[in-house]
Amino acid sequence: MINDFPEEYLFDLESEQRVLSSILHSEDACIEAYNLLTPSDFYSPRNALIFELCTNLYQREVRPTLVEVLKEGHTLGLFTNPRDIEDLKYIAEYYIDDENVKYWIQKIKDKSRLRKFVEFLQSSYEIIMEQKGNDVEQILMAAEEKLTNLTALEIDDHVDTPADMAKLGYDEVERRFLRYKTYSELYKGRIPLEGLPTGFDNLNHVTLGYKPGDLIILGAQTGHGKTAFALHTAKAVAVESKQSMLYLNTEMSREQIALRWGSILSSIEHDRIRSGNINETELSIIFQAYSRLRDSGFYSYPCPNLTPEKTISIARKFKVQKNIQMMIIDYVGRMDKFDPRLAEWQILEQIVKTQKMLAQNLKIVVMCLVQLNADGTLQGARRMKNECDLMLKLTPIPAEDFELDEEIKKYLNPNYYLIIEKNRDGRSGVRIPITFDLQKQTMKDAERISL
Amino acid sequence: MDYDKKKKKLYDETVSLIADLGFRNRISFDEMNFLLTLLDLIFINKAEKDLITTLKKWVQTNNNSEIDEIIKATLLATDLRVPEAQAKCMEAVLELLEARS
Repeated sequence: MINDFPEEYLFDLESEQRVLSSILHSEDACIEAYNLLTPSDFYSPRNALIFELCTNLYQREVRPTLVEVLKEGHTLGLFTNPRDIEDLKYIAEYYIDDENVKYWIQKIKDKSRLRKFVEFLQSSYEIIMEQKGNDVEQILMAAEEKLTNLTALEIDDHVDTPADMAKLGYDEVERRFLRYKTYSELYKGRIPLEGLPTGFDNLNHVTLGYKPGDLIILGAQTGHGKTAFALHTAKAVAVESKQSMLYLNTEMSREQIALRWGSILSSIEHDRIRSGNINETELSIIFQAYSRLRDSGFYSYPCPNLTPEKTISIARKFKVQKNIQMMIIDYVGRMDKFDPRLAEWQILEQIVKTQKMLAQNLKIVVMCLVQLNADGTLQGARRMKNECDLMLKLTPIPAEDFELDEEIKKYLNPNYYLIIEKNRDGRSGVRIPITFDLQKQTMKDAERISL
Repeated sequence: MDYDKKKKKLYDETVSLIADLGFRNRISFDEMNFLLTLLDLIFINKAEKDLITTLKKWVQTNNNSEIDEIIKATLLATDLRVPEAQAKCMEAVLELLEARS
């Protein structure tokens, strides 16, 4: 009976061809499809094969245009005669407005789920026939489990039972206990990082590093080191730890960013590098500094018209192609408003929520730089604080602290506080004195005066 | 048909035409690959104007001389998608064009 099911209900070749056409013509559509579909979602084996060719190319950083897919298929011996070209062209000509690709992707996914449901019905029917209707409880239990898996919207949806949670907790504590013990012996108690290095020993100690899925917000006033902080972080992550990361800058040119790196990595004053007022020895030091940048995992994307949607597609692309572990957005206030009717705080809230989701979905660290008001406050701060995992403020040390604060007197040349306003995983309200050399664009933990 | 779709159609038709010539052995596979790569450079990657100008100059003056054969061989041996290779190739082609004139 179940075999009489009309097959045409189970697939939608038009949607499959429209999505493939869009992938062949638009990189954004390719990113969407790459993230939402698998070859098994396609009913037609031919369409599944073309999709697989596209995703393989994309993983190798080749945009899957019609030309590249044709060449790849030809190299692999999949397209060998003029008829294959006609077939591919036929698919390519199912044009859509590329921004509608999600609609067609959803149609493919729906049909794919429907096919799985029919398979479930067929297998249930066969089980009933085999067991001649005996052991009803067992049949229903097995069917329920399969159906639950099928109705879950995402494959990675997972519910922890009390036993799962207890086991997870036990394993985590045991792992940390053993690690602490090992490191106590090896490194005299210094705990290794759980995430990416922050570039500051004291911040590493409090946070154990920036962890995948974390949203970090760094606030500073104009001209008080937002970009220097971003590039200092990039140095720790991409240059010193050789991890891949993406830096989105909304206001600086490629040349400006490149020159800043010269200063950061060579410790030669930025103004002198900019004006070219350097001697030959310094020139050689700067060249050596750039060779460190060349071997690093730093990817830069100057993007004056950045929108929250664009950050998503850029981050997805770099995750697939470069396996980035972190993305820094410098800075959020310069992002284009996607709805001019919204108030400033509403826009910031939406941006921050989007970035948090992005961090969790891609399992990367996202750091957003935001601008503080002149009085050191942050617009929409409460909402941002709710969303983020770590909120930092970079602010000059007030003159009175140098006279009145006994703690600050214990440091050599501190000039800025890095304040931990919120820390989901540890202590907050901590002020870390740092030394920020504006001219060299460098930052470091302020040194303690040895007694 | 709007402009965007017309552009896509033009691209698809051109790809299909070049590939068909290759698959039917009317042009060699090297020639097919070169033309397809060039098409992507122009349509997708917005090729440098210099590249197009140089190639046009060659096509307009090509009289199948020995130097023209060398230019063609140089072009077919270059992966134009690699900027450094493309720049070197264009430099060589310009030198050859000058030598011929």
